[in-house]
Amino acid sequence: MTERDAFQNKLEAVVARHLGAPGEVRELVRLTGGATKVTWSFDAVVGTTTLPLILQQTPPERLVAPDGATTGIHGAHEAALLEAARRAGVPAPCVRIVLSPDDDLGEGTVTERVAGETLGRKINTGAEFAAVRPTLAAQCGSILAAVHRIDATGLDFLVEQTARDQLATYRALADAYDHPLPALECGLRWVAENLPRAPRTCVVHGDFRNGNLIVGEDGVRCVLDWELAHRGDPMLDLGWLCVKTWRFGGPLPAGGFGHRDDLFLAYERASGGPVDPAHVRFWEAFGCVKWALMCMHKGLGYLRGARGNVEAVAIGRRIEEPLLDFLDLITGKAA
Amino acid sequence: MPAIKPEPAVLLDAAIDYLERELLPALAGYHRFQCRVTVNVLAQVRRELLLAPGHADAERARLASLLGHPGERDELNRELATRIRAGEVALDDPALLEHLRHSLIEALRINNPKWIEE
Repeated sequence: MTERDAFQNKLEAVVARHLGAPGEVRELVRLTGGATKVTWSFDAVVGTTTLPLILQQTPPERLVAPDGATTGIHGAHEAALLEAARRAGVPAPCVRIVLSPDDDLGEGTVTERVAGETLGRKINTGAEFAAVRPTLAAQCGSILAAVHRIDATGLDFLVEQTARDQLATYRALADAYDHPLPALECGLRWVAENLPRAPRTCVVHGDFRNGNLIVGEDGVRCVLDWELAHRGDPMLDLGWLCVKTWRFGGPLPAGGFGHRDDLFLAYERASGGPVDPAHVRFWEAFGCVKWALMCMHKGLGYLRGARGNVEAVAIGRRIEEPLLDFLDLITGKAA
Repeated sequence: MPAIKPEPAVLLDAAIDYLERELLPALAGYHRFQCRVTVNVLAQVRRELLLAPGHADAERARLASLLGHPGERDELNRELATRIRAGEVALDDPALLEHLRHSLIEALRINNPKWIEE
């Protein structure tokens, strides 16, 4: 039996156990993307109906978030968070199964599959999205206002991370590598000298960006990848969406598809609170520095004995991209 | 050692050509993505062979000028990083910013030339 057959057999047993017989799995396809999680698309036969589903698995050896500091939100915690998000009006995935140890597939969830596009470049250039593109930034603003209204009751696993906490995490990450980069030191010092003063704290998504959204011809249908969620400064999510890395060749700052003003205005309308552009820009600049360190951490993992797969080592060669973007931002040269 | 032919650049060009023109169109999904990443990685090495020696000399000269003394590139970079971290250099110092920008752009000419074109 091939590895793939064995995997399909396990998955059929999981479907039958959690959702019902016969549990036959069809059209099993491993999707691209997700450097931490492994994502599979499949159709499951339950009774007389066929359910379009997604399995996201985090193999036990990968239960480390991109920032290397936290283990991220997985399994039952992720399911609780997604439910709370849906109650707050966020288009989040609908969980059908939380994997248990008996399932022997690592940690993960099975969610209902939402049709649409996740590839940032296609969303930003595809003719089928031309009409909806100008509305996406405002939709993101309204959705983020809903994310920031999520009731944290019962979500005690969400740790609080202030900008200062995150700086300490990323400072430690930089120090774990003997790879002194003057531009990176410049970034870490700038962040330390420009920390926001007493922002409000709420549930934040932590990785809200183009590439983690399912977009259809009618707009944003689903917000994915909640594993970096925590309690923190809500402006983090607005800034991260604008980091140039997530613009995928698009000409505009918000996700490559929209204007900052549209994002901010929609957020203000939906949340009732003001957006200070300089405060968001701090998080955009810090986002560049964080992404540079994520690139270092993923790309130099071979120094810690990790297997140097090509996707991982290639990310190591992306360190300079966000550092140049950071310099452009703090010197006023950025778009 | 005799001069080894074909040269590394020729080997890389041939490997990239095969992967990009013949293998990639035959692939889908996960392996198509991984193959594209592999082509990019080989193209980085190809550009590095061509550009890195000139970049290294230029960066060493800029670092020596900025720090006021000569040295090896890695050691000078380490010293500059330490001085920035210690707050001994102003973050808005035009000479510092110009040097950092220059070094990042040179690295991007190797790693991802499109990043500085877009």
